[in-house]
Order: sequence, then structure tokens, then C-alpha cells
Amino acid sequence: MSETPAAPNEPDQAGERHTYILFMVAGTTYAIRSQQVLHMEMVEHVTPVPNAPVFVEGVVFSRGQVVPVVNLRARFGFQRSKLDLRTRLLVVQNDARRVALLADEAREFVPIAASSIHPPNEAIGGLSGNYFEGVATLGERIVLILNIREVVETIPTAAA
Amino acid sequence: MDDYFAEAEEHIIAVRRSLLALEASIGSNLPLPVLEELFRSFHSLKGISAMVELREAELLAHEMESCLRLIREGHVAVTSTNFETLVDGAKVLEAVVVAHRSGQPVPPVGRVLEQLESLARPAATKSAVVRGSVGSGESSKAGADRAVWRVTFTPSPELVARGVKVDTVRSRLLQIGQVLSVAPKVVPGGGVSFEFDVETDRDQELATWKEDGLTYEPLRTGLNAEASESDADRNSGVTELSTVPEISQGIATSGRTNFVRVDLARLDDLMRLAGEMVVTRARLEATLQRVERHVPFQEWRDLQEHSAGIERQLRDLREGVMRVRLVPIGEIFRRMPFVVRDLARDTGKRVQLDLAGQATEIDKFLIERMMDPVLHLVRNAISHGIEPSDQRIAEGKPPEGTIRLSAATAGESVVLEIADDGTGIDVQDVAERARTRGMSVPDGPIDARTLLDIICAPGFSTRDEADRGSGRGVGMSVVRRTVEELGGALGVKTEAGRGTTFQITLPLTLAITDAIIAHVGEHTFAVPQSAAREVIEVETTALRSIERNELLAYRGGTLPVIRLAQLFSIPVQDRPRFHAIVVGTGLAAVGLLVDRIAGQREIVVKTITDPLIHVHGVSGATELGDGRLVLILDVFALSRTARDRPHQIEGVSA
Repeated sequence: MSETPAAPNEPDQAGERHTYILFMVAGTTYAIRSQQVLHMEMVEHVTPVPNAPVFVEGVVFSRGQVVPVVNLRARFGFQRSKLDLRTRLLVVQNDARRVALLADEAREFVPIAASSIHPPNEAIGGLSGNYFEGVATLGERIVLILNIREVVETIPTAAA
Repeated sequence: MDDYFAEAEEHIIAVRRSLLALEASIGSNLPLPVLEELFRSFHSLKGISAMVELREAELLAHEMESCLRLIREGHVAVTSTNFETLVDGAKVLEAVVVAHRSGQPVPPVGRVLEQLESLARPAATKSAVVRGSVGSGESSKAGADRAVWRVTFTPSPELVARGVKVDTVRSRLLQIGQVLSVAPKVVPGGGVSFEFDVETDRDQELATWKEDGLTYEPLRTGLNAEASESDADRNSGVTELSTVPEISQGIATSGRTNFVRVDLARLDDLMRLAGEMVVTRARLEATLQRVERHVPFQEWRDLQEHSAGIERQLRDLREGVMRVRLVPIGEIFRRMPFVVRDLARDTGKRVQLDLAGQATEIDKFLIERMMDPVLHLVRNAISHGIEPSDQRIAEGKPPEGTIRLSAATAGESVVLEIADDGTGIDVQDVAERARTRGMSVPDGPIDARTLLDIICAPGFSTRDEADRGSGRGVGMSVVRRTVEELGGALGVKTEAGRGTTFQITLPLTLAITDAIIAHVGEHTFAVPQSAAREVIEVETTALRSIERNELLAYRGGTLPVIRLAQLFSIPVQDRPRFHAIVVGTGLAAVGLLVDRIAGQREIVVKTITDPLIHVHGVSGATELGDGRLVLILDVFALSRTARDRPHQIEGVSA
């Protein structure tokens, strides 16, 4: 599919700046480059897949494709919570794969300058594995930048 | 289809009412609102009939519409004879719809069409009556003094280079006589030719145009000949190619006998057989691995080689069967000139239609389902895209807008493009409207994907009031859903002032199969019909446990059963009886216990490729129309599980 000439992430004078989508998982704010997100959906029905890894909520049809749903709470080692009206599926593209990430809620688009993203420090790294690639501070808030590749690629042997 | 009948009936009732009102006014002043309403009714009938491909109704409605236009514009008076003709037309139209609904043969429409046309004749001498792709079984009317010739023009790049185009031919023909109809025809190999039925006594001039790709033959010298391809045209369930070269003597006659009509179901059978062979070969492969160490190396290598040979040949076989299902996409395009001309006329815009890649082949199944979406996009392009001529001139564009329909194969996909050189989509305006409707739209520039999301959102329309042309039938949301349900993708490119291109990417073919739909607890599964031998009812008390297996007395022997609920850890309540789907044969036979069977239906198989959901016992997924995904069970893997269970850990295949 082709893009219009004006993509939303042109560099500006202040340095590289990308649009991110912010979402919440178990009280923490995470961010993904909006470019990586194909679209967001409300959760209508997730078909469970028996014998799939524990963090896989199931599958959905998204735009006619069969897409696995990764429950980020389960992925990060938190308690699952009930799906509700605020729950969102973020359908992301990683190479040829298309995976839906289940987040508690996702509402904001924000531009984040590359210069304000710092590598994660060791202490935070322990919280949710290697699933994020940086930390950004937005005013009062701390935002963890998600590493999609790690989230969808790594299949822990314990769950397989 | 039911929608069609319901809507058609409404319009027919309105027509009857209006005709009564019209009758009362014969000889006095014409009630314009009544004419307007009649006109609208027939226009709608034409549109919806075109969408369900009820050609007789479409054609009748078209002629009625033409007559009413002439009456409204004062070119034709409403005499009692003319009125009777209109009434006859309406009656036959109704009969056509009724017959179609009850599955009866559609009554002949030729005679009433002739009458309608002769009603319109005196006023219509100047304009060509264009009938698009509709079968022209009625071409034998017209005045008896001049002969009618069927002139076939086949455009070619060389001819275009010399300036000889369809328009050129048409204007030449108009100079020597009257063009009764024009019908584009797809010729084998993917080109298009145009058949003009021309009434003329200056046929000697036709001979002088032979160099320009024209062939001609007498269609009627007096009042005899009757062209009769409408039967063939009507039978659109089968690939149409074989009927094409029937009439013309010239360029297009080659290869007329080399086509076979085949029922699609037979091809499905072949496809299924090929699929089963693939499974069998996989078993052979597995057996080979097991016997490797018992067989001398040389022998084993030969076996291995033969097995690989079978695999290659099987793949070729499947591809071969698949290719038979492919038909030229021209089947979709063929209808479009008609639609474009009509809509252009209605909107008062000038539109030229370019077609490219009609020979591109695609699964017959997809062709049938893509018709409406393409129709919708073409209508949209005319209603929303192409600007009126004066505006185009003011913007320095050619006064005639161009819609380009093209198709091309790209690897395992077919790409269809519907492009216009119109005004383009006002992206900011669209975003603004979306926001005012409470849709979440990111700030800043809108990319193509977001734009598509917005315009395909249910209920979103770039015009506050949908107009006649594009506002009926399917909306963009349905277009997108249809494309995506077929495993395809919809894309859009737009540039302000330069036009909009919609791109539909479709898989070359689809795996379609019949499946049994079964419920287990709150879950639904699909079991391919081809793998299921039968469905039986099982009393829980009839199940016997032996070691770790549950067995069932079955046809004088025993049948191991798998409780799907157990296998998939699905919470279910104890129940006195189950349904068992018996799959596999002989020693591989196994019964899959489910709560109940919901029925049997055709499903489109989507493969599961992502490693996260690639689990044992599940081969794919499908959707039953409610947007929910249903897993398709891999019964062969499951029956293996049952057999191997005493020796294997559950859930792990050999």
C-alpha cells in the first residue's frame, strides 16, 4: 500500500521527531512508533487458541488476516485483567508478521523527539525483560518505548 | 438477493401507481412530478438489476428510462398507444423479476423492447443507443428499408497510432447511417472488440475501412435474421469465452472450438482430491523417515527420490487445477462501459473509460465477488472524482475525465486498479469530517492508511447526502470488508487536483471447502467436510475407557474418541450425549466429540502462519460471517494424537 507523500514523521529542525502511540499496561505507560502500528481496534472477540503460549490471548481477524493477539499483561508477567471497553488491540507489523498487542487502553498520539529518549537503565530493565528499548520523559510522565521485535519474536521456552 | 426483490418490488409498485396517474392525464398537460418519479423508479430498477446481473430487467428498465426521458423532454407525446407500450414494458419487467425470484425461466423481452425502442425512435435518430455489454437479442427491429450490418472493430496499438479509435469508427458509422447498438466484446487472448449494429444503405463504404480493423457482415437484409447470443450471455455461471467468437467472421474467429465449459463444483472436487493426495504424501514421508534405518541406504535413497518426485508433481497438479479455475478479469470490466456511460450521462460529466489488462486471470470465485466492489469504486470515481467539464477546462485539464481500470498479476496476487484523473480526495476535509463525527484521527498530516480507515469507516461518506450514482448498494466499508474477507487488501492513493487511485490486491486463488461447524462449550470449530466420514450421536454411557483411551462401539468394531473439550482444555458441562464427527478411515479412524453440530457450510480457508499460533491440531482459520474467527481443525494431526496416545505425551505429534 502506498503512502501519501507527507508521512507524519518528517524530521523537524529540532532533530528527529516521531509520532508515538501511548498505551497503558498495568498502570505503566508504554509507547510504540505510530509508524509500526497498522491500526487500533476495540476488542470484540478474541478466539482462544488452545495450546498456544500462555501470553497469547488468541487470534482475531484483522482486515481479513489471521492475527495472533499477544496479551501484554501476560507477556510482562502481570495478572491478566478483564477485557473492557477501554481495552485496545494495537495491530503492529514486524517484518512480514502482523501481531495484535492487547493493551489496557490506548488513546494518545504524541510526538517524541529522538533526543529525549534514553536507553533503559538496568533497574527498569528487570521489570519487563528486554521488551523495551528506551525511556522517555514527557513532562511528569515516564514512558517506556516498546521493542516490538522482542515482544513478538521471543518465545520463552517455558511457555512453548 | 432478497434485498433486490424487496427493493424491486417497491419500485414496481411505485411504477404502477405513477402509470395510473399518467393515464389520467393523457391528452391534457403532462404531470411532470409523475414523470420524474417514473423516471427515478426505472433508473433505480436499472441500477439494482445491473448489480444482481438480471440483464433483462436492466435492459427493460433502461429502455423505459430512455422513453420517459424523451417524454419528459417533450420529444415524444404520450398517446394512448405509447402509454400502452409503457404499461406493457412495466408488466414484462415485473414478470421478469417475479420469474427470477421463483426460479422460473425469464419471459422473452425482445418484443416489448422493440416497441419501446420504436417509441423512442423518432426522437433518437441523432444519438447512438448504447447498450453496453447487454446481449443484443433485440437487434432485429428498426425500419425495414435499410439493411443492418454488424460491424466489428478490434482496436490495436497500430490502429491507435494511426488515429483510428472506437470514437473514430463510431463517427464514421454515424455518417453513413444509424448506429443501433454498440456492444464491447472480450475476445480470446484478452483484447476487446466493439460490435456496432449499423443500419445503412451505404455499405460499400464499409469495405473501404477494412484496413482500419473493421470487419462486417449483414445482420439483416429484410426482416429476417435474429441475433441470439442473449442466451449465452445470460448463462454467466460459466466462463464466457466460448461464446464470444460466434458472430464475427474476421479477426476474432480463431480458436472458437477450443473451450470447454466446466461446472465449478467439479473443479472443487479435483482441488479437494489434490489436497488429499498432499496429505497422503505427507504420511508417506513420515513413514519413510521411520523405516530409514531398516532399509539399505541405496534403496532408501531411491525411495526418498521418488517421494520427492511425487511432491513436485503434486504441486504442479494443484497449480494446474487452480489455473483451470482462473478466468479473465475482463468479466468484471465488460460491464463497466455501460455503467460509466449511464452515470456520466446522469451526472452530466464527460468520462472516458480506459481498460487495461483484461486478460489477467483470477479465480472464478473471486470474480463473482469483486463485481460489486469494483462497480462501487467506478461509480464513486464518477460521482466524487471526475469534475464537470467546465471546471476541468478551468483547471487546464482535458474536458473529458478518464477512469482507468487495470489489472495485472504480481506474483501470487492480482492487482486491480481503479484510477480517475479527477479532483482527488480532500484529505484534510475528510479528517475534519471524521473528527466532527467523533472518530479518533491523529493530528498532523494524514497518511494513506489513515485516510482509507476513515473513508471505509461504516457510515462515513464524503458527501453529506449520498447521491443517486454512488449512494446505493455497497458503501466503502463493504468494499473494504469484501476485499479483506477474500484475503485481499485495499489501498488508496490520492493527489489533490490529480485524481484518486484505489488499488485492490487479491490472492490469485482461494482455498474454498465445505466444513462441518461444531460447538464445544463456548467455542466453535470447523472440520473440513472432506475429512469427515459421518456424524453420529453418542450417549455418554456408550463410551468405554480402556487404558488412557475412550472407545466407542462403532460398526462392529471400536472407534477411539477424542474429547475436543479435554484436548483444548475447554470448560464444558457434563452432558448425557455428544455428537461425534468420525474422521479418517481404517485404523486411522477416530471420533471427535463435540457438544453439538451447528451445520455444514462453505468456508474460505486462511492458513495460520504465525509461529505464536501455530499449534498442533489446528490447520487454519475461517470466518463465518460474524467477524469472529473460527479455527479449522487438522483432523489428521488429531487422529494421529489419538492413535499415538498410549506411547506419546498428549499434544505432541510423532
